[in-house]
Amino acid sequence: MKTPVPLAWKNLTHDRRRLAVAVGGIAFAVLLMFQQRGFNHALFDSTVEIVRELDCDLIMVNPARFALTNEIRFPGSWLEVAGSQSGVDSAEPLFMENLAARLRQDGKRARPIRVLGFNLDRPVLLDSRREILSQINELREPNTALIDRLSKSSYGFELAANAEFPQLGELNGNRIRLIGTFQSGRDFAHEGNLLMSAENFATYFRYRGPDPLSLVDLGLVKVGAGASTEQVLRSLRATLANNVAVMTRQQFIDKEIAFWARNTPIGVIFLIGTLMGFVVGVIICYQILANDIAEHLGEFATLKAMGYGNKFFFALVIRQAVYLGLLGFIPGLFFSWLLFEFNAGMTGLLMQMSIPRVVTILLATLSMCVVSGLLALRKLLAADPASLF
Amino acid sequence: MNQNQFDLAALIAAWEPAREQLSIQVEHLNHYYGEGEMRKQVLFDNCLKIRQGEIVIMTGPSGSGKTTLLTLIGTLRSVQEGSLQVIGSELNGVSAGNTTELRKKIGFIFQAHNLFESLTAFQNVSMSTELQGIASDLARPRIEATLRRLGLGQRVHYKPKSLSGGQKQRVAIARGIIHEPRLILADEPTAALDAESGREVVTIFQELAREQNCTILIVTHDNRILDVADRIINMVDGRIHSNVLVKRNATLCQILNGFPIFRDLTPQAISQVADKIAMRRYPTGSEIIRQGEMGQEFFVIGSGDVDIEVDGVQVNTLSQGAFFGEVSLVKQQPRNATVRARTEVVCFLLSKDEFQSVLDSSTTFEEELRKAIFSRQ
Repeated sequence: MKTPVPLAWKNLTHDRRRLAVAVGGIAFAVLLMFQQRGFNHALFDSTVEIVRELDCDLIMVNPARFALTNEIRFPGSWLEVAGSQSGVDSAEPLFMENLAARLRQDGKRARPIRVLGFNLDRPVLLDSRREILSQINELREPNTALIDRLSKSSYGFELAANAEFPQLGELNGNRIRLIGTFQSGRDFAHEGNLLMSAENFATYFRYRGPDPLSLVDLGLVKVGAGASTEQVLRSLRATLANNVAVMTRQQFIDKEIAFWARNTPIGVIFLIGTLMGFVVGVIICYQILANDIAEHLGEFATLKAMGYGNKFFFALVIRQAVYLGLLGFIPGLFFSWLLFEFNAGMTGLLMQMSIPRVVTILLATLSMCVVSGLLALRKLLAADPASLF
Repeated sequence: MNQNQFDLAALIAAWEPAREQLSIQVEHLNHYYGEGEMRKQVLFDNCLKIRQGEIVIMTGPSGSGKTTLLTLIGTLRSVQEGSLQVIGSELNGVSAGNTTELRKKIGFIFQAHNLFESLTAFQNVSMSTELQGIASDLARPRIEATLRRLGLGQRVHYKPKSLSGGQKQRVAIARGIIHEPRLILADEPTAALDAESGREVVTIFQELAREQNCTILIVTHDNRILDVADRIINMVDGRIHSNVLVKRNATLCQILNGFPIFRDLTPQAISQVADKIAMRRYPTGSEIIRQGEMGQEFFVIGSGDVDIEVDGVQVNTLSQGAFFGEVSLVKQQPRNATVRARTEVVCFLLSKDEFQSVLDSSTTFEEELRKAIFSRQ
């Protein structure tokens, strides 16, 4: 039932102070949900960020390796097999150390860091390609590496744009000279990244075997000009059979995210966090609506006595809930954005606020308010005009 | 006696509700609160007829059931036992949808003003016109006129916060009457008002009753407005203790006071008589009492002439103000004469018991009677 007197809006905005509190409450719930979803996305986004940057069309990996952090490798000889397939331009190794690498600066505690080793002829990271190429000659020298600018500051290195290099440190007890920087990003498992030549990688991680480079972590396949990625993928799969898995970059990313989302409690934890935000929002919104109804019970009962039906009250409460949701969402979004920026700066995680994600939270906010509206409606329908006399 | 003639016509009209439309008809209405062993009866076999256009004031101590009766009439509570008809609809077993429709024909004025603080006076009243589906360009002048009439012409777009208690109550009254309801139910509508605005409100009630034939039922303890009532109902312990057509009785007292037999009665005694008296009309030539029957009633002629016949022979003619039928009652004898309407006759009657109780309570009345009886013999 449409009413030219905007009762829902008037009631909501009549008491400015209470409206401010209400909007603050909803905004807080919005912030909670954004944070939880944001961290959740950040976890996934950050984890696969390195994969997004890899300069390749297809990725080879040990079929048993269920996540990047799971250090199951495959023999490098399979790269030669792959490289000899028709349509394949190159198949290059990427060496990774997640767990055993420890970097320290003099006087500081050694901290774990991810180390990437690559063939200097083929800089594997797309985004930092030019940066890496410009420093490639220095990387040929022993005990040299590039450090990720977004690495945690607690390593003790000066990583600002105007920082001076080289800087000295120790990697697994051996001297290392950091000759410059590149950019990738942190994730939950890794506080920083080092990039070095395969040769240097071999000297630092001798425990990988008599030939430390005989086992590779990822194989990066580039498809030759004119060849179909789809066909190359199929022929590689046929050739490598069960020995090495081959997948597109997107398939790899999906698999990685699916692992974190399904096989670890992290996805569930953030889901619970988000639900908590939702529930907090429902409670806050319900309190506000129920309070408003309780304070106007006499007025609403009078409307009932006048002949207003349940449909009217239903529309009234839902409208009020939606207004409240929208009013709370706007500052909630703003503060979430500020907090995302702050978090990204603090943690180096990728905190991205894309339109689909904003829309999702908006819908969650509106449904949160509608749910509490429906809960509060029961109170309104219980208003008894007979009690007015 | 011309004055009396005039009043009598009004009296006759007021006396005969059967010909007019009933606004509220209550028949053997019982109501209970609670369930099982806690069940407590609050209304006991109440019967009541209120005509369209009457102003009724309901009084009674708290807990007497008047509020329950009011909420039942207002469709705010469902009828449990008995029959209750409001504006032509039976409320016992009515559906929720019909209830909502019925409520739209009723104007409610509650003791608390129940105005939305967030809306202006105008918007609060609009809540009623919108519900009635009155187009806003039609509603606007109507709302403004009503508020003006209630002395709120300068306050149309004020919010309740900026209005005094009396002004708020008047806005609530405007909301209750703006849709020209057939029935207004008001709970202490003047309690929050000063004498002047209280008077203004009841004047509006009177105008509504007169101009729109709107029935108005007011629960009040405000003595200042009792004079507007056509009927005063007093409830005690869930029963209608008295139901008096005050306007009728006032007119009746005036008429009775004009009759020699009642002339020296105290005002109380007269109104006691007026309470108990009945009225009956007789066409020309009809027999009012018959010689030889046992008398049950005492008659006073309101208008017209009667012939007294003893053994078929006319012995006398009586006209307005005269009385007859007392001998048989006093002496416990059969009627000693037949009385026949010579013209169309209106008589006031007292039953035997009521006649006796008036006789017991008033020595002057008794004296008058004795003198009359003596002179007639």
